Amino acid sequence: MTFEVMRPKYVGARVQRKEDPRLLSGSGRYAADVQPTRALHVAILRSDYAHALIRSINLDLARAMPGVIDVIDGEALASELKPLYATSRMPGYKPTALWPLARDRVRYVGEPVVAVVATDRYLAEDARAAIQIEYAALPAVTDANLSLTAQSDFLHPEHGSNLLVSRNFSRGNIEQAISEAFRVVSGQYRFTRTTPVAIEPRAYTAEWDRRLARLTLHSATQAPGIIRDALAEVLELNGPSIRVLAADVGGGFGGKVSLYPEEVIVCFLAQKLTRSVKYVSDRQEDLISTTQAFDQTVKAEMALDSSGRILGIRASILGDAGAYSIYPWTAALEPMQIAGFLPGPYQVPSYEADVQVVATNKTPSGPYRGVGRPGACFILERLIDKAAKEFGIDPLEFRRKNLVQPDQFPYKTGSGIVWDKSGFIECLDLAAEVIDYTTLKDNRDAAKAAGRWFGIGIASYAELTGLGSRMSAAPGMPINTGTESASVEIDATGSVIATFGTASIGQGLETTLAQIVADEIGVRPEDVTIVHGDSAAITHSTGSYASRSTVLAGGAAHKAGKEVREKLLKAAGFLMDCELLELEIEDGVVRQPATNKVLSFKDIGRAVYSEMGRFPLALRQELDLRATSFYDPEFGTTTSATHIATVDIDPETFEVRVLRYVAAEDCGRVINPQIVEGQVQGGVAQGIGVALMEEVIHDPQGQIFTASLVDYLVPSAAEVPSIEAVHLEAFAAGTIGGYRGMGEGGTIGAPAAVANAIADALSHLNIDITELPATPERLFRLVTTANQEKA
Amino acid sequence: MKPPPFEYFRASNPEEAVAALGAHGGNAKLIAGGQSLMPMLNFRLLEPELLIDISKIASLKRIEKGSSGRWVIGAGVRHRDILVSEVLGNSYPILRAAMTHVAHVAIRNRGTIGGSLAHGDPAAEWPMLALLLDAEIEVLGRSGQRMIEAKDFFLGALHTSLSEDEIILAIHLPPAPVAWGFFETARRAGDFALAGAGVLLETQNGKISEARIALLGLGETPIRVYDAEAKLEGENLNSTNRAAAMEAAKAACQPMTDLHASAEFRVHLAGIMTGRSLDAAWGQAIC
Repeated sequence: MTFEVMRPKYVGARVQRKEDPRLLSGSGRYAADVQPTRALHVAILRSDYAHALIRSINLDLARAMPGVIDVIDGEALASELKPLYATSRMPGYKPTALWPLARDRVRYVGEPVVAVVATDRYLAEDARAAIQIEYAALPAVTDANLSLTAQSDFLHPEHGSNLLVSRNFSRGNIEQAISEAFRVVSGQYRFTRTTPVAIEPRAYTAEWDRRLARLTLHSATQAPGIIRDALAEVLELNGPSIRVLAADVGGGFGGKVSLYPEEVIVCFLAQKLTRSVKYVSDRQEDLISTTQAFDQTVKAEMALDSSGRILGIRASILGDAGAYSIYPWTAALEPMQIAGFLPGPYQVPSYEADVQVVATNKTPSGPYRGVGRPGACFILERLIDKAAKEFGIDPLEFRRKNLVQPDQFPYKTGSGIVWDKSGFIECLDLAAEVIDYTTLKDNRDAAKAAGRWFGIGIASYAELTGLGSRMSAAPGMPINTGTESASVEIDATGSVIATFGTASIGQGLETTLAQIVADEIGVRPEDVTIVHGDSAAITHSTGSYASRSTVLAGGAAHKAGKEVREKLLKAAGFLMDCELLELEIEDGVVRQPATNKVLSFKDIGRAVYSEMGRFPLALRQELDLRATSFYDPEFGTTTSATHIATVDIDPETFEVRVLRYVAAEDCGRVINPQIVEGQVQGGVAQGIGVALMEEVIHDPQGQIFTASLVDYLVPSAAEVPSIEAVHLEAFAAGTIGGYRGMGEGGTIGAPAAVANAIADALSHLNIDITELPATPERLFRLVTTANQEKA
Repeated sequence: MKPPPFEYFRASNPEEAVAALGAHGGNAKLIAGGQSLMPMLNFRLLEPELLIDISKIASLKRIEKGSSGRWVIGAGVRHRDILVSEVLGNSYPILRAAMTHVAHVAIRNRGTIGGSLAHGDPAAEWPMLALLLDAEIEVLGRSGQRMIEAKDFFLGALHTSLSEDEIILAIHLPPAPVAWGFFETARRAGDFALAGAGVLLETQNGKISEARIALLGLGETPIRVYDAEAKLEGENLNSTNRAAAMEAAKAACQPMTDLHASAEFRVHLAGIMTGRSLDAAWGQAIC
């Protein structure tokens, strides 16, 4: 079977997004929009302490409040269900017990402690205010270094320390590379904590079906399959007893791909009370309890020979996991990905990375668009720019020289990742061409001579997307994420329906998958009904994350679509009494060009399902118009890009303006350029936030200061320039359809590109950007210090 | 994030509002645009027994010319109304410029002048404008009507000289110099300013005859930099007196350190914003 669509009509076209009419007209259905009959509403009392023992909980007053149906704490839950552990096969890894409500001890501000169920949310919150809890405060740790060296007051005393993960990667001889190096550049980099901030806060509605005594959880999740499987385990239910639906999800960015306490709580309560139960987090809860990201300190050094070639990289990575190791990704996810991707798209013969991950009294961290790679890219690209400066080589040339060359693929990196052939250098060249790099440099020099603080920043990166069963999304994690399925069918009305396990989180997947199925079968994308975000519609799936949905689900769609097309042709061939090769299918009509005989899908559907007498018995036994396929890309495929940004810094107020932004990306075959551009633009906007403003801030006692959008700053349209996304397809990808994942890349490149541009704008002061976000305050301090040193 | 229970009363005139405030002795709150109050209620930072809705009181919505060239703007006038008011724009062009810095469009469409003044946030535009324009604030309480000068109105962060039973009726603006400068620097468009300065200049025969400088976001209250004002009078704006004014602004402010900027950085910005506003105002005054 070959998977080349011979004449793709829709793959590659700017097809209008199928989901937009409903999303833009307010007709989407999010978990909070579901209004089951007599639904009850939950308010969660969260810990005000970062670290404390729970001495006593008095729920009597709350229970007596108007409208209150039930009030439960951790002990009440513990007798009814099992805790979940994010296990891992990784040696030395320590999982943490995940209880939906804290038992005995709270470990971060915002941790759920008590759930109040009432007839409406107002009454639930009134009753919540009447709950009395006596805590005994424990010393809190919010600094990863202090957590690592702590001798007492561990978050999880059973482990005897706060260290959850300790690993070492090594390839080649890094000691030798460093001792024999002509130059070594180094730095200590801090990638501060961020949070995803989806426009839709997390929300869960557990709908109780009295007739069947079954649960349907309407969840704001990227991963209905993972949540279904996990809830079945925690609540000890069989699959059909719990269905997880994610009809529309208002953005995920990684923050909606883990199992949350509230998902367990609403399901548990719905079962217990045999009523539908709803929980909708408000923005404050979302900011303090949705999994956060980054929070790593990395010491890194790069050894170079006399010609400016990289000999090796050595890094030590200290990751701050927050209070728990979350399910299913574990606390290892982010820091291990930094170690995995730190060698980047460059030739790095020797590599060593130490990874340590500690627990602290902060919100658990989890996946975030780009996972580890935004940090890895920032650190590596800063080192690259420092090295280029040291050698007096133009940063673009320095990259061209050190990137993996076209004849070196497949290239195995120091961390063991293998890059399949992708346009590393081609992206670099294309980005430089689009932005007219040579002229831009002249303009930069002229602007700087005139006193402007103007800078150019380049970032090149590669990422592994569409991971198959032989590459784990998180090292040693408890579930395998290497496959997705597609079920394609033509029903008795002649309609095409394609069912997937992925979720619609705003990324346009309904359209891109419909384009694939449309081409395979020969209909228009608008005539393909996509069903996804429903655990009951599929056998197994994990969901939409890790730039996998198009590669895996799209690959499966090709397989299943092709099979259905063959069945369709077989039926049509018999009905039209001709050879299959004589038939063409276009826009839902099968045609024999020689005779101009036509049959619509409707005719064929009716014949196959309602007029089966038209077929001989033997054919009837095997003829249906449906197929289900799974696709496992085994290793995954490489997406690469180069971003170039220019910035202007106000020398007096230290405001940074991003002026131009070009992203040249090789994401394989582009299914829908408009959707790819949208993903790149959104990702870059998010990365600009990381570079300039987004930072979760705790005080040393673990109180979180950034609990509203007044204090946690995300970029608005005013802070984001027009982003120029350009595509190239340098080499055919080995995946079915030739697709590479591209949902995360923008966020990977942008922090590095903007940081490099800022450093370039400040090059006259010799300022290194080692910590993001580069806020006006940080730049003020850096410049003040640099001026003092000069003077 | 739901407010605690409260009673609701819609006042049809200021007297009713005052009576209701008085009857609840500090446990009632006025609501007009609700742009500051509603978040505080939803966070349960306040738990008033009664909300008195004054948004339907017609007399609070006036924009009219009073005696001796003063303009009277009702407390219920919304930021957006100021932004589009031609008459106010002609007399006080700085108002229009400043209104574009009041948060975002949706907030400007609802928030009121009276609300902003009564809330007394030192980083907000209206308290600073009131001080800069030598405004008087007309209030009504159980003991009657009184006028409070802006310089006596703002006592501290979110703290004004309004009594528990008083409602702001209007802000009175005397004639003011027309040449203006207004600069803010904020983390993002629409955010509370890290620092801001407003300047008004009057010139006679090419020399400054009256100068006013006020700062926002740089202390517990908005700040007038009277020292610098006096020193500018009778002179051209030049690099020496400009630098002196910047230093005076830095010396006059007492900002706090918060998540978005340190006190040290804000002091630096106070000088920068003052310098830029002076330049802009001087540029207008001499053209």
